[in-house]
Amino acid sequence: MSQRHPLASNSALEITIDKILKNTEKDILSNIKSALDDSHHNLDDSIRKLEHEYDKVISNGKKEADKIEKQIVGSADIETRNKQLLLLEDAVDKVFSKALDQISNVDRSGDYSNLIKSLLKESTQILGTSEITVFTNAKDKDVVQSALSQFSGAELSSDTIDCLGGIIAKSKDGTMKFDNTLDARIERLKPLIRKEIASTFGVGS
Amino acid sequence: MTAEGGVQYSKIAEIKGPLVVVDDVDSAAFDELVEIETNEGERRLGKVLEVGNGKAVVQVFEGTSGLSIAGTNAKFVGKVMEMPVSKEVLGRVFDGLGRPKDGLPDPIADKFVDINGEPMNPEQREYPKDFIQTGVSVIDGLMTLIRGQKLPIFSGSGMSHNLLAAQIARQASVVGKQDDFAVVFVAIGVQYSEAEYFRRSLEESGALKRSVLFLNTADDPAIERIITPRVALTVAEYLAFDLGMHVLVIMTDMTNYAEALREISAAREEVPGRKGYPGYLYTDLSTIYERAGKLKGRKGSVTQIPILSMPSDDITHPIPDLTGYITEGQIVVGRDLFRQGVYPPINILSSLSRLMKDGIGEGSTRADHSEVSNQVYDAYSRAQEVRALAGIVGKAGLTEIDLKYMEVGDIFEKEFLTQATDENRTIEETLDLMWKIVSKLPKNEITKIKDKYVDQYYKGE
Repeated sequence: MSQRHPLASNSALEITIDKILKNTEKDILSNIKSALDDSHHNLDDSIRKLEHEYDKVISNGKKEADKIEKQIVGSADIETRNKQLLLLEDAVDKVFSKALDQISNVDRSGDYSNLIKSLLKESTQILGTSEITVFTNAKDKDVVQSALSQFSGAELSSDTIDCLGGIIAKSKDGTMKFDNTLDARIERLKPLIRKEIASTFGVGS
Repeated sequence: MTAEGGVQYSKIAEIKGPLVVVDDVDSAAFDELVEIETNEGERRLGKVLEVGNGKAVVQVFEGTSGLSIAGTNAKFVGKVMEMPVSKEVLGRVFDGLGRPKDGLPDPIADKFVDINGEPMNPEQREYPKDFIQTGVSVIDGLMTLIRGQKLPIFSGSGMSHNLLAAQIARQASVVGKQDDFAVVFVAIGVQYSEAEYFRRSLEESGALKRSVLFLNTADDPAIERIITPRVALTVAEYLAFDLGMHVLVIMTDMTNYAEALREISAAREEVPGRKGYPGYLYTDLSTIYERAGKLKGRKGSVTQIPILSMPSDDITHPIPDLTGYITEGQIVVGRDLFRQGVYPPINILSSLSRLMKDGIGEGSTRADHSEVSNQVYDAYSRAQEVRALAGIVGKAGLTEIDLKYMEVGDIFEKEFLTQATDENRTIEETLDLMWKIVSKLPKNEITKIKDKYVDQYYKGE
């Protein structure tokens, strides 16, 4: 009796095909599942990356915005302050020129002659000698001349100088000079006077 | 300030370099301010260097060119040089002698202060221990700047120290506190283009309103440079100790200051010291650097970053050498990194902040800062050794761990050290970058950081 080859049977073939199909289906499903898992995983990763990138973009944007805000506010502040400074200086100059006008027209009698005496005394002390030549303006010539009687060795120069008032003392050998004019004194005190004027405008301490 | 002026002398005995010798002077004082009046009525400032035997030696800040013995007068003002100070100086630009350079009037002075300052009583000094964020990772992370510290930058000619200086001036801040912060920027003998860059850079970034600029350009008389840092530090001290601000003083370039000092010393025919600099260079530099610090019971602080370009990149040159003795560490700008195009090209292995340890950690920066910084130093040092080895045996002869260190070195330079000139990194960003570098190493190579920080921040495999 001859035996039949199993593959010759249709049912065996079908069984085999079924098996292969099942295995293939299983593989495909497993692959699909793993692909799905991978996709989920990738998606999760991408979301994390995206969130990270989003945070980075927002943070960089915020930094840039802060920088621009600083620039705009800083420039505006400086510009405003500079304008304020120029206006203040203008006002200070006006006050100064008015005060100088008043000083140049001050009455040359009374206290003024005492002032000239004290300026002469200070000058001889600082120069260390009373052997001096004194220079003054045309308006003060008489006051200075009368004050000089108290300083032996001092003489008034016939040349006049251009100043608001006060004197310049020069040693007779010409090596030392002391400027004690009102202009020089005001110039030396100008920073303090500016501060006083500015404080009346509410600037500074 | 008084209305009383000084005596004007007209007997000039000699004009020698930047010095004028005045004869028959009987009442001058050391350091007294002198107004020199030329034949044409031009006025220049100077100060008394020596007095005695009826003579006074006057150092003319604006130079002696054009002066003649006949017709020149010297007026001894009767006071030392003073700087008018007030809060109004913020946002202003001055020249090397403290005169406005921005077309605006003199600031309204709150008071007038001797530019030589008063020495800080050592007993009254407070130990510096608060962090200043510069926004530059390599400085904040590895050589942290502390309030009240003096931390110089040693650079070389042509390198990017001025870019770095301007970046620090724009970005520096005190983190997490509402304290006022100011920058005093002192340019000593810089080119006009550089001075303009500093001014524009602060103006455009909006940082000018909290800054004061003193600009002495290369074409200004060299002798003026002796005064520039002193005038600037006087303003800094006022802002710090009278107004309670934290002031960062950036001075560039201190080499030009020392050159000016050498010029005067030569004119005075003093015995020269090393490389012709005067023997008192150390003492003189200390009168500038020691004006940094904090005082007990006072809110503010003066922090200094002097920048000096080392002639021929020689760190043993008298200027960096003597500076290093006085200051508290140094930041060294490296020629190799500069040539590779790295900015800022700071060579961390030669750099150090001696006060860093007291100003970082929990409560200041972050608890892991000190340890991660040590690990980065160690890793970069190993990377440099491996690079040297690779130069001899080739990459093929390196072990796997050697290659890792080489990679760490590259990442350090490309991602941590390299930074854009307008990139302001927070200390957290800096520390995260340091962890990124450390995380490239296997865990068993991390030997300088506690496990708890490794568990918290390590991002490696």
